[in-house]
Amino acid sequence: MTDVLGNTLNLQYELLLPEIILAITAVVVLTLDAFKKELRVGYNSLPFVSVLGLVGAAVATLLLLDNRGNFALLIELDDFTTFFRLLFIGTAAVLIIGSYEYIERHVSHVGEFFALILLSTVGAIYMAAARDLLTAYLAVEVLSFSLYVAVSLAKNDPRSGEAALKYVLLGGVASAMLLYGLSLLYGVAGSTQYAEISEALAAGTGDVTLPLLLGLVLIVGGLGFKAAAVPFHNYAPDAYEGAPLPVTMYLSATSKAATFALILRWFAGPLLPAVDDWAWMLAAIAVATMVIGNLVALQQHNIKRLLAYSSISQVGYMLMAVTALAPDTGVATSGAVLVHMVGYLVTNLVVFVGVIHFYNKTGKEEISDFRGLAQTNPYLALTLTAGLFSLAGMPLLAGFFTKFILFQAVASADYLWLVIVGVVASTVSLYYYLQVIKQMYLYEPLVPGRWRLSATGYLTTGVLFFFMVAIGIWGAPLYEVADAAAGAIFFV
Amino acid sequence: MFDRLPLPSQFDRTIVAGGTVVALVALPVVLVLLALLFADQISAAEMVFFLAATVILAGALGSVLLPNVVHAALSLVATLLGVAGIYLLLLTEFIALVQVLVYGGGVVILLLFALMLTNVADDPVVSDGSQKPFAMIVAAIMGSLFIAVMLDAQWGNPAATLVPFSEFGARIFRDFSIPVIVVAILLDIALTGAFVNARTAEEASEPRTEEAAA
Amino acid sequence: MIPIENFLILSALLFAIGFYGVMARRSAILILMSVELMLAAVAINFIAFATYLDADAFSGLVFALFVITVAAAEVGLALGIVLRLYRERRTANVDEADSLKW
Repeated sequence: MTDVLGNTLNLQYELLLPEIILAITAVVVLTLDAFKKELRVGYNSLPFVSVLGLVGAAVATLLLLDNRGNFALLIELDDFTTFFRLLFIGTAAVLIIGSYEYIERHVSHVGEFFALILLSTVGAIYMAAARDLLTAYLAVEVLSFSLYVAVSLAKNDPRSGEAALKYVLLGGVASAMLLYGLSLLYGVAGSTQYAEISEALAAGTGDVTLPLLLGLVLIVGGLGFKAAAVPFHNYAPDAYEGAPLPVTMYLSATSKAATFALILRWFAGPLLPAVDDWAWMLAAIAVATMVIGNLVALQQHNIKRLLAYSSISQVGYMLMAVTALAPDTGVATSGAVLVHMVGYLVTNLVVFVGVIHFYNKTGKEEISDFRGLAQTNPYLALTLTAGLFSLAGMPLLAGFFTKFILFQAVASADYLWLVIVGVVASTVSLYYYLQVIKQMYLYEPLVPGRWRLSATGYLTTGVLFFFMVAIGIWGAPLYEVADAAAGAIFFV
Repeated sequence: MFDRLPLPSQFDRTIVAGGTVVALVALPVVLVLLALLFADQISAAEMVFFLAATVILAGALGSVLLPNVVHAALSLVATLLGVAGIYLLLLTEFIALVQVLVYGGGVVILLLFALMLTNVADDPVVSDGSQKPFAMIVAAIMGSLFIAVMLDAQWGNPAATLVPFSEFGARIFRDFSIPVIVVAILLDIALTGAFVNARTAEEASEPRTEEAAA
Repeated sequence: MIPIENFLILSALLFAIGFYGVMARRSAILILMSVELMLAAVAINFIAFATYLDADAFSGLVFALFVITVAAAEVGLALGIVLRLYRERRTANVDEADSLKW
């Protein structure tokens, strides 16, 4: 079938199978939840069906592995898309398996919660897969809307509604800024297709230099908000603190990764010809994010806020690498961003699943509540310690390897000063991670007595722990996969 | 005359205020524009544009400056109708129709309901934040910067293209099938969100009654 | 024909007024109204560019259409949250909701 301009449109809906499965599963979960009594199913069927849907979507993704091309010029199906399909599906599965006990007790609408996680995964995947500004924008809104709702779902927590309100209002303003930037980009390039924007920008924009620059400022601002980069980060700690813990985890994992997938698609693809216009903006934001994120994290006493600032500083490291994108070294650099993203995601999930299970047992979330954990639950203390060390970038763990790859890529793109800032910042970060570790190992517990994790707790932390160490010791396979995925997004 | 109507008292004041504003702002503008039109200084299309722009900007200023929230919401209606007029000028009657239906029929009613529900007083007046002067300076800088950018650029050759009403539906579901699907998911999520936050009412009220009983 | 700059200046002014409202207002509902103004400015931009500069003119129109849709959905979602917060706190002002650091 062809469109009006004579382009052939590929309308094979089976290429969208993973997302279709996810959406159908979401509807099934909602229906199950609504008719729980009539169907005589318990709470456990909801996470079970959700995970089943995620597995089905993952299988469908693997079946479509060799189908490259695009869907109706709107969705690009390449290695990059496959990479993020698997990454987001995996993250959602970890979230559901690792925290379903928490969700049952502390989330006010469980059926809607699982449906939101599944639907927002669709949004996250399309952020990575879009090849048209409109698809990308709507995917961004799908993810953002699910997060606004998910933040408001904490049961009996007065902070939840307030966090959601702040998030939705500021998110609306950020979307408006992003959209205004996109409208200017559309005006400059005359198209919303990535490939055509790339051509238009490469052909020169002499007459419309300033609108392009303004558009880029607004786009960077809007995306900076979605990724919670300084100075657009103010909402993030509040949203993190007010949200239920699994949502906090989701905010720091999938939301960040999807935003960076979109940033890579845009800045390595259509916007790469204008690299001189945006590199300095991203460099400034990256430095501010690394410095301020780490410095403010030093003063936190709530574990959610600490992890919020820690994830803000991780955004800084990744933005630093996006700054260093250039036509010649771009593939290696964006491959490094993907490697670091996976390392950060795995590590972050380890820490969050650990904290969620700690909360299940104690109902507390201050850093000082972790005192003596090494005596009451040595396994959890060890897992958390390894996770925090990995976040700080200690050797033998994922964080070291991925950060090393990232810094090396940035250094080889002649941004040595950025690397120096990054190294100093991550040294500072060790201090606040050590504060938590100190509480766990050096102090006596307030309430003595051993306790154990649930079976799923051991399962998720164990698997993630294995990946964290495996990436740290032998990261070559991950590096190759990431490089292949990154190669797909460049037009040149 | 208003005494006989079963309306809350602020409504008649709103109508009077609205009439006064229209008379004070819109009427001179209309007269000046008509004079210019008959003197052949501007074309009819330009006259409509400036009229719509006046309505839009006056309404926008009203909706961010007026202390009474009902007045602010009604100014918003004026702005959004003016925007629909701009869409008509730009030859996109379908979007203009959507704008009137969605905003006039849905959004503004929703906003007014929420305003009425959250401001129990008869005459809901809100105070603004203390950063008003700062906000004014920032917005002024931003506005003038944007305008300077728009004027600096050379925007190619204008060539008005018209997408016929009938082609719109055919193309939107074929060429843009993915956005239509994604927006369906988006609306589903928004519905879920509105619903879960509204339903908290019953659940939240249960423990409160227990406390009251205790 | 009206120069395209007219539409762009109108949209810039509308966007700036909306931004002022976001910064100056305290009531969540009034902030939402200001966001609507900003989104209306965006839609004007898209349609102006579509009609004047895009040979196909279609993607800009569809973009504007979806901006309107998303804006309406956002209002519905945000007002749900505002009402819930009002029920819990008896206020719709963002700075009175201060149990988290703003």
